[in-house]
Amino acid sequence: MKSFLNKFYLLGLIVTLSMVSCDEGFEELNLNPTQANDLDPKFQFSYVQLQTSGERYENWRAALIYSSTMIQHLSALATYWSGDKYLFNSGYSSSLFDRAYSNYIKDIQDLVNTLETSGENPEMLAMARIWRVVAFHRVTDIYGDIPYSEAGKGYIDGITSPKYDAQEDIYKDMVAELEAAVGQLSGGGRSFGSADFVYGGNTDQWRKFANSMLLRLGMRMSEADPAAAEAAVRKAISGGVMTSNADIAMIQHSTGPEGINQNGIGQVFLADDNQRMSKTFIDWMANHNDPRVDVLGYMAVGGPQVGLPNGYDAQTISNFGSDDLNTYSRVNPKLVTVDAPMIFQTYAEVELLLAEAALRGWHSGDAATHYNNGVKAAIQQWEVYDASLAVSDADANAYLAANPFNAAEGMRMIGEQYWAATFLNEYEAYANWRRTGYPALTPTDYPGNQSNSQIPKRLRYPDSEYGINGDNIQAAISRQGPDEFTTSVWWDK
Amino acid sequence: MKKKLFFTLSLFSLFAFTGFAQKTVSGTVTDASGEVMIGVNILEVGTSNGTITDLDGNFSIEVSADATLEFSMVGYTPQQIQVGNQTVIDLVLEEGVALSEVVVTSLGISKEKKALGYAVTEIGGEDFTEARELNVANSLAGKVAGVNVSNIASGPGGSSRVIIRGNSSISGNNQPLYVVDGIPIDNTNLGSAGMWGGQDWGDGVSSINPDDIETMTVLKGSSAAALYGSRASNGVIMITTKKGGKRKGVGVEVQSNYTFENIIETFDFQKEYGQGDNGLRPTTQPEAFASNLYSWGEKLDGRSTVQFDGQSRPYSDVGDNLGRFYQTGSTWTNSLSLSGGDDNYNFRFGVTNLQNDGIIPNSGLDRNTFTTNTSGKFGKLTASFAGTYIRENVQNRPRLSDSPGNANYTAWSMPANVDVNSLLGPNGDGTNEEGTELLFNDNIYVTNPWFAAYNFVGSNTKHRAMGNTTLRFQFTDWLYIQGRAGIDSYTERRTSIEPYGTAYKPLGGMSELERRFTETNIDLIIGADKTLDNGIGISAFVGGNQMERSFETLGGSGNNFNIPFLHTLNNLANRGTSYGISEKAINSVFGSVELSYNSILYLTATARNDWFSTLPVESNSILYPSFTASFILSDAVTMPSFVSFAKLRGGWAQVGGDTDPYQLNLTYGLVGQGHFGAPLGRISQGTIPNFSLQPSQTSEIELGADFRLFQNKLGVDITYYDKTTSNDILFASISQTSGFGSQVVNIGELRNTGIELLLNITPIKRTDFSWDMTFNFANNQNEVVSLLTPEQDEESIRVSESRTRSAYIHHEEGQPYSVIKGFKYARDAAGNIQYDENGYPVRGEFGVLGNGVHPTTLGLTNRFRYKNFQLSVLVDGKFGGDIYAATNAFAYLRGLHKNTLVGRTDGNVGGSKTLPLDEVDNYYSQIYNITEEFVEDASFIKLRQFTFGYNFPKSMLESTPFSEVSLSLVGRNLLLLMSRVDNIDPESTYSNGNDQGLEMFGVPQTRSFGFNLNVKF
Repeated sequence: MKSFLNKFYLLGLIVTLSMVSCDEGFEELNLNPTQANDLDPKFQFSYVQLQTSGERYENWRAALIYSSTMIQHLSALATYWSGDKYLFNSGYSSSLFDRAYSNYIKDIQDLVNTLETSGENPEMLAMARIWRVVAFHRVTDIYGDIPYSEAGKGYIDGITSPKYDAQEDIYKDMVAELEAAVGQLSGGGRSFGSADFVYGGNTDQWRKFANSMLLRLGMRMSEADPAAAEAAVRKAISGGVMTSNADIAMIQHSTGPEGINQNGIGQVFLADDNQRMSKTFIDWMANHNDPRVDVLGYMAVGGPQVGLPNGYDAQTISNFGSDDLNTYSRVNPKLVTVDAPMIFQTYAEVELLLAEAALRGWHSGDAATHYNNGVKAAIQQWEVYDASLAVSDADANAYLAANPFNAAEGMRMIGEQYWAATFLNEYEAYANWRRTGYPALTPTDYPGNQSNSQIPKRLRYPDSEYGINGDNIQAAISRQGPDEFTTSVWWDK
Repeated sequence: MKKKLFFTLSLFSLFAFTGFAQKTVSGTVTDASGEVMIGVNILEVGTSNGTITDLDGNFSIEVSADATLEFSMVGYTPQQIQVGNQTVIDLVLEEGVALSEVVVTSLGISKEKKALGYAVTEIGGEDFTEARELNVANSLAGKVAGVNVSNIASGPGGSSRVIIRGNSSISGNNQPLYVVDGIPIDNTNLGSAGMWGGQDWGDGVSSINPDDIETMTVLKGSSAAALYGSRASNGVIMITTKKGGKRKGVGVEVQSNYTFENIIETFDFQKEYGQGDNGLRPTTQPEAFASNLYSWGEKLDGRSTVQFDGQSRPYSDVGDNLGRFYQTGSTWTNSLSLSGGDDNYNFRFGVTNLQNDGIIPNSGLDRNTFTTNTSGKFGKLTASFAGTYIRENVQNRPRLSDSPGNANYTAWSMPANVDVNSLLGPNGDGTNEEGTELLFNDNIYVTNPWFAAYNFVGSNTKHRAMGNTTLRFQFTDWLYIQGRAGIDSYTERRTSIEPYGTAYKPLGGMSELERRFTETNIDLIIGADKTLDNGIGISAFVGGNQMERSFETLGGSGNNFNIPFLHTLNNLANRGTSYGISEKAINSVFGSVELSYNSILYLTATARNDWFSTLPVESNSILYPSFTASFILSDAVTMPSFVSFAKLRGGWAQVGGDTDPYQLNLTYGLVGQGHFGAPLGRISQGTIPNFSLQPSQTSEIELGADFRLFQNKLGVDITYYDKTTSNDILFASISQTSGFGSQVVNIGELRNTGIELLLNITPIKRTDFSWDMTFNFANNQNEVVSLLTPEQDEESIRVSESRTRSAYIHHEEGQPYSVIKGFKYARDAAGNIQYDENGYPVRGEFGVLGNGVHPTTLGLTNRFRYKNFQLSVLVDGKFGGDIYAATNAFAYLRGLHKNTLVGRTDGNVGGSKTLPLDEVDNYYSQIYNITEEFVEDASFIKLRQFTFGYNFPKSMLESTPFSEVSLSLVGRNLLLLMSRVDNIDPESTYSNGNDQGLEMFGVPQTRSFGFNLNVKF
């Protein structure tokens, strides 16, 4: 028995010795050889800009199916185009929310945090902060109260259930961010250079863009908080806003090599041919002899542009007219290619906002001059998509001469022109329409609609947030109102 | 270096010693009537040295000088014989009073079953080869108490989901470890469908060839598995492959199995109303095109009505569209094996070919398996090698769930008056004349089913090599050392094509992917077995194991073919490459001591220490023990005469666990190929990393009893277990507004308690006729005890979402694993459904609606033998689980569900008011968003398996070269005896992951019939 145990222990010892340092090399083995621990801020900024332009996913759903049809830029018969029928599709409704936080807010927060921590590149930091406002303002405009101050900080601060901030607070902070960033733009350090797809790192253009965004956000508060609105507008104008179509804030896309390089709206049009120009929009242009009608619209069968009325489906359209979609105007294919630019803000919008500021007495300039500059820029801006879409000065001036600015109708005229100028920037078009109520759109009355036959005031939050961020979303709802199409966001009084 | 040292040591140890006294014993075993007994187990007690008797009842075995041999066979009383000076032992085995079965346990060590302190079930190879499943794991359904097998609706080559004693990890793998001849094999799922569609790319066990399986042993509890380490915490399924035995000449066995299969038509869609919208039939071609997925038309009246292609056809029921689309599938398996051996050497070589045609046109599977087993004895050294090479080619794995490319989606959605054959097009494959997709409706994402079947490609080929070499050296009769190296390595080549001309992707796209997986295991064991004079036996070993695995992926993919219809990577306008790698390692030392007293009491203690590469260096080690006891009551005390055998057993065990690689640090990666020359970079994780993870831990208590009564005519085996997983590493869903979808944390706690009951009843046993019944029952109560840190205010995490975006699978505190959540009807205090001003039902609160996992499983097998005829019938069932039937939600949206007939003539849909007829469709479409309506009880009973066989009597074969011939008629999944789900089969989940309970347009379940021929020479 004793010798048995001795031999047993001896052999056991051999085994044990052969296994000493049982985790040698494990730490290196667990480092992913295909990933890096640090990243050049340029690479992340490029990524964030391109992602803010958006994937096909949210451009299809939130921008086109909902926003563009609700404000009657586009129209469709297919019932999954729920926007102009005011039907609720939860995945479509939440698509911008679903993509924004994980696709770019996460990385812009990380980038701002990295740049703030190092403190070495103030100019980069300023541009990142401005872009963060660009990213957030569209989300809050669509949904109202959203996670903002705690958003995208799952790793940085370990916040896994961000609270929803009141839109009023978000706006005040975005205004403050823009003002602070403008001051930081001249701080020096490295430049983003060609990693900045919007302005190639040009700080002068970034300053104009930041002030133009400040003008946009300030004016957005015109009904909810006129004092704050006026202050922001005045500050923006004195800081210097966009001065020509060369200042348009946009990102060029390319045909590839991958989906991320392509324009998300162009990708939609490659895949979906159900949507047509809205009758409302075509008629508005045609009734004013607008040269844009043949720039924006396209008739496959030739002849004058014919808009498709909103609110019909494949059956009910026969109550109106032709049920053949080929007899209605498509969007000009040159505007919706996969290598089309994606526009965030135009000079035309800025001039129109200046005209409105003048009308309100918040700006000493001449409303008519700004209006004329804005309309002319809006008519001519489409050449950024394709040189063949250029409209001559003569044609633009003829339009203005035939449709002169009338201060008594000023707010309506500005609102209508803003609506036309923001075609294909549907988030902005939808936001400004809600603020101003112009143009005066006739709501549709589709059976089973979810908004009491009124144009929705906002889109609804993702279902997922109810499951995993329930307390915070409930707090937002008790502050803002029920999570319905009919609830207005804060600035929409 | 370390590995080298380890291996050199083992080789040195094995060869360093030679020569101890051995002798050969031979003889014949007969039963009481003098008939020779075939297949009697002969084991040298205290070793794994053993053999079985051949066709003439003869055996020969080389044993050590003072060996004791144990002769055993199920149903007979085992006998132990001291060999002493004998070289010939002729023995008569008495019909059983007490059973002694030898089973293979952890690390391939044979043990007497009565010594085990835990539940083990062994299934013979013929259970997998007679009535076959393409994935052999599915053959376990209904056969083992406590083993819950989900039949995944994903077609040939699809994955299985086998869960033993409940799900015990929130985010980790819950399936058992599969071990072939002592070496773990990979069972990674290579991809399954989710809310946006996709295919089931198969798993590891699906390529195992049933013809090579001698036995499959299910080790259910943690204590059974403590020696396999962390991956065995979900139980172990041990596959022992067939080996050659001593015989004259070469044994040849041929097996042929042919089955055909048809879909089980569970669909009961309405056939009264035809295609249309708003209660009207289409009147123009554009209208017909727009409404081709909707059955909201008029009552079928046979009137000529225009369809999507502009042709007019009678507005009447066209009959069985599913029968037109799905074809009869078939599977043809042929295997040949050669085996032989003498006292010192044995070999077996097997080759199997399987050819399957799936029920979806243009889909199927081919598999060739080559296997070799050989073993030789050189004095005290035994060397053996087992190797298998498998080549598996699956053509067109069906797309599931969401509509793009999913033929099932479209085939199931046809209105009653539209013939699916009208979508064939001029080329007969769903294309129009130019070869692009023949569009039949205005939603380009709902693909023409013929186009999906004939033009989409989703195929893969797997080359897999598995094998191990074992060297065992017997120093003395009681001391041995064994070294073993095993590998499982495969390369998967995958081609996916969305062809040129696909409606939703007009220029097409494709990907080519190659994945390489390798796992190696090296272990060394030193063991001793000794029975002392005072009746105390000791059996002990210590050992070490090194496991390394790597998974490497290289792929190219892109979009837009330049030259139409030329589907190759080089023809893509936009393309990119991808590369990924995932590596991990576990090092372990372990030991076991078993003490026995006079074969009455057995006590076993084990311990294992694992070091995990995936955990932080400070906390990557965990030591876990197990203790089990077995007490043979019937040998210890005098029992009443009707008790043939009685045993009590119990055990307590712990197992540690780890997680996936690369969860500890935040990292960045590049996306795509940049934009205008500028690289695009981002945070690469969607999960918040955690640098302070710890090993998870599972503890299990098991108590059981095994009684055989009335001369073994009644056997009762009952087990109770209580298993708790704590510190579970989970990927907890968090609000997407944090930027991340989940965080990896050490906070999960799950508890599984349950009972397992096995009854073996032999109501009749005569020479010519016998009837055996086996009944198994298990109930597992699962509770997610803890999920979240105290600072988080939610109580559940989301695992998965349905494409309808209104049903979700959650793990939720206080609920069982994998609950279905969604929206209920809004109801008043009295429970009445609330309606809005339009008269439509209102969607109410979000909550738990069902349980995605069945808590109760049972199976009943009846076996009858009359002379040379055998009949076996297996009925199984599962109870208490639910399924979210997205197919039925779509059937509401589309007007196909029979329930949508209510109100079509008068607008009286049963809601708060009578609706205009053109709003009836909107009413039912609104219900589509209300999850509650479509969460259905998925309990079922099925006639799972039927075999009727005939063994040709020896007398008939005397003048032939054959030694044994048997022929049987077989069937699988023959009847759905009970189901409470509308339209779909209750076993229709499309995922084999941890998100059980979601269904949507999977491959229909099939019933198969065929025959099996077995010939031995």
